[in-house]
Amino acid sequence: MGLTPLQLFLQQLANGATLGAIYALIALGYSMIYGVVQLINFAHGEIFVVGAYLALSVALLLAPFALPWWAVLAACGLGAMAGCALLGLLIERTAYRPLRRAPRLNALITAIGLSFVLQNALMLAYGATDRMVPPLIPSVRWNLGGVSVTLIQAVIWASSAGLMGLLQAIVMHTKLGTAMRATAQDATACRLLGIPVDRVIAVTFAIGSALAAFGGILYSLYYGSINFHDGYLTGLKAFTAAVLGGIGNIPGAMVGGLILGLLEGLGAGYLSAQWKNAFAFIVLVVMLLFKPRGLLGERVAERA
Amino acid sequence: MVYGLTAALLTAGCGVHESSTVSIGFVAPLTGDQAPYGEDMRNGAQLAVEQANARGEVIPGYRLALYALDDQRSPTQAVAAAKKLVADPDVVAVVGNLNSSCTMPASAVYHEARLLQISPVSSNPQISRQGFDTFYRTCATDDLQGPAAALFAVKDLKARRIFILDDMTTYGRGLANEFEQKARKLGAEVLGHEGITQGDKEFAPLLTKVKALKPDLLYFAGMFPEGALLIKQRADIGMGGLFLGGDGIFDPVLIDLATPQAAEGVYLTTIGSDIRAVPSAREFLHAYEERFGPVGAYSAYAYEATSIAIEAIRRASKKDRAAVLAAMKTITDYPGIFGSQNFDRNGDTLIKDIGIFTVKAGRFSFIKTATWD
Amino acid sequence: MVLLWTMVYGLWTLLMERPSALHLARWAAGIGAAFLLPLVLPNAYYLDVLTTALIFALLALGLNIIVGLSGVLHLGYAAFYAIGAYTYGLLSVRCGVPFWLGLVPAALVAGLAGAALGAPALRVRGDYLAIVTLGFGEIVRIAFNNLDQWTGGPNGLLGIAHPRVWLPGRGTLDFGVASAPYYYLTLAAVVLIAGGYVRLSRSRIGRAWLAIREDELAAGCSGIPVLPMKLLAQGCGGAVAGLAGAIFASKQGTITPDSFDFVLSVMVLAMVVLGGLGSTRGAIIGALLLGVMPELLRGFNQYRMLLFGLSMIIVIRLRPEGLFGGAPTRKAAHARAA
Repeated sequence: MGLTPLQLFLQQLANGATLGAIYALIALGYSMIYGVVQLINFAHGEIFVVGAYLALSVALLLAPFALPWWAVLAACGLGAMAGCALLGLLIERTAYRPLRRAPRLNALITAIGLSFVLQNALMLAYGATDRMVPPLIPSVRWNLGGVSVTLIQAVIWASSAGLMGLLQAIVMHTKLGTAMRATAQDATACRLLGIPVDRVIAVTFAIGSALAAFGGILYSLYYGSINFHDGYLTGLKAFTAAVLGGIGNIPGAMVGGLILGLLEGLGAGYLSAQWKNAFAFIVLVVMLLFKPRGLLGERVAERA
Repeated sequence: MVYGLTAALLTAGCGVHESSTVSIGFVAPLTGDQAPYGEDMRNGAQLAVEQANARGEVIPGYRLALYALDDQRSPTQAVAAAKKLVADPDVVAVVGNLNSSCTMPASAVYHEARLLQISPVSSNPQISRQGFDTFYRTCATDDLQGPAAALFAVKDLKARRIFILDDMTTYGRGLANEFEQKARKLGAEVLGHEGITQGDKEFAPLLTKVKALKPDLLYFAGMFPEGALLIKQRADIGMGGLFLGGDGIFDPVLIDLATPQAAEGVYLTTIGSDIRAVPSAREFLHAYEERFGPVGAYSAYAYEATSIAIEAIRRASKKDRAAVLAAMKTITDYPGIFGSQNFDRNGDTLIKDIGIFTVKAGRFSFIKTATWD
Repeated sequence: MVLLWTMVYGLWTLLMERPSALHLARWAAGIGAAFLLPLVLPNAYYLDVLTTALIFALLALGLNIIVGLSGVLHLGYAAFYAIGAYTYGLLSVRCGVPFWLGLVPAALVAGLAGAALGAPALRVRGDYLAIVTLGFGEIVRIAFNNLDQWTGGPNGLLGIAHPRVWLPGRGTLDFGVASAPYYYLTLAAVVLIAGGYVRLSRSRIGRAWLAIREDELAAGCSGIPVLPMKLLAQGCGGAVAGLAGAIFASKQGTITPDSFDFVLSVMVLAMVVLGGLGSTRGAIIGALLLGVMPELLRGFNQYRMLLFGLSMIIVIRLRPEGLFGGAPTRKAAHARAA
């Protein structure tokens, strides 16, 4: 079963785009949060895994009821997203808000400490081995001119695009979105104008976490398994994607995620799989050194 | 002040064991991502100790206990744990570690203290070549498993074009290199040898590349989480050919994670034959399953290693490290669950059976013991 | 007996205030007591744990130079530790270079790496710099893991030589796997580096670093060569890590890339922050506490890392400037007000 070079390339593109969509979903959360509070939320990668595990729990709960797959999927999705949104709110309220006036280093240390706590809590709750994820999406494969595409992949592309479109609409065309953009630009001015900055920040955390949870569900369905350790590296790469596109910039996060996924896929496919992670970091470092504003420019308040 | 407090705190932590206990030390990753394997091993060792105690006193006047420590797969912690065991007068033998990267530095510590160390599953050949007479192990080494697998692949599976993957760990890389060497010698064409990172999940780009090279066989030296994903994803992209793995993928969870359909027809080698087939092992399996549940990949080896250590202690019949070590050297034809155990000059077990399994109808099925041409 | 030692050490730690004749004498007494510890407590396990903690103390001191004085946040410090360890390791295994000689290139190479990374990275601000250093740390680790022809890859380097000393009347003694010799070695290193650091921080260079940290623009305007000073800080920090790496490699005899991961970088950073940025005492004490904790927490098994993360969060919340932090800033503030 040979593939022409073109078919091979297209297949690699398809592979990369799938991973890229997942990175994009997580990157959005990073970007939005950094936009409003200038904090690299290290714990965000762990929220992504929490979402996946919550979905798994919901699926296991519903298993004896033999519901149709799309119902279970919807329930898992809602459950996980709601759960993570709450978690995001909790974290913001208890861990980050008290540190708003403290040096930036402190918030970073707290974020790192949080990520340890979450990771290990997951390990204690669900065990250290990879957990199998029931195949909620039926496994259907299409052969499009030699390139193999599965139903899951299609679902990932469609749903991420949909969600991101929705998010963009919210940010650009609703009051909430305007408040978010304003807070990102100048929080003090917002307070003076009577905008409930704290609430805006809280909502941002909630939305970002829900998106990450959705990414987590897709991720665990795509690979069929989840492990408490998955959050660290994926989170880091998603952050790279956010920086790549320009931190604070929502379309930027999407573009960044896609590009990183493609780079990784093409790198692994054409160059070397074992240097794959190093690529991501090299991209990150090079971007930050030469174009810290990212491809699409960042949208953050200027700090002195 | 803190310095002194620290020293004081450490001092306070000792004096836990009464002197009417004789202990076997046990070191493995009990937390962290290798925790499941470590736990399985500890259960096996625990079972051996409990059974020995039930049969009567191993040394008159003393109770046998297992003293388990965690090394988190970190060589630094493995050395610290080793020193802790060495400093404890109740410990007369040690079963450990799991990872070769931990067993290696720890073995130097045990050697210096003249403390018997039996490793259940560290398969890196180098460890027993250091000339330490305190080191023994109950598993075959990778310089046996790799070539046996290559022989099976080329002679039995008739593979001419092979692509090799490993997980870039001490174990995986070592095993894969041995396989590659032998495969080349047998005349097979090695299309490529690449590494994957442990913990990674996305193998589609790599597998797509491999698929384009059209190998007859894909060989993977690594652990079951990555193995399962490789098997699943290779089916997803419609890659043909055979899949052969090492003992790292020999875990029932593999079949679940990879889906039974994709895992059907996968081959693998194991260090030691199928213990389900060996009559002496049935008792162990039964007892283990009753006490702890399903047997893990390495429980049996830990049980075996601990049982042999207990035998050495029994023969020494006193709580003395030198005596236990000397007694160990006298053990021949020990009736273990893997068969009759003997050790060579380096401390390696002479049971060099490599088992070959396949996956049939969602379960592992034993084919045969590997041959050596 | 233990109480006596506790008191002596207590005096020692109070001493890093300012050097005067009396203080120096008590300082010497405290250090002397620390050196005598192995004779009182010949338990190899405790000494080994303390040695590991002391190596962390070295790392914390080095990171303190970078983070504490020059205000640069670093998340990839483990890379320099690895570079030092592998440099000595390779020299020992491939060229048979003895430890005392191999120390120097280890520290030098790591120091150069520190400065080399520093140069382009300094154009980047704040948070982003942290991420650049993180990226660099990971790239180095992955490189060491993948380049197996040179570094032995995941198998690591085996057979690294232990230090040997020639003692009059006893001949050559190899450190081997005994705990006490490494304890002395590391203690001496910590004392040396801490002492050197304290002196340096009172010298012109140290004051320059402090000025840069407080207000970079003003420092530059008053004629301080900002960029070379920052690079010097990076280099010194890297060199100290390199030294620690060489000691670690010689102690373990075998080194593998997974000993030098991001978690280690984070732990060292936590030690420095918890101890108080810029404070020598803080760095050492933070390191001792956090370095010994994994062993102390053995009883808690699976909850270890969880508790570690929690303690990080709690301490930073309750005492944001760290245990011993704040003093230099306070003093500087007073000086400015005067």
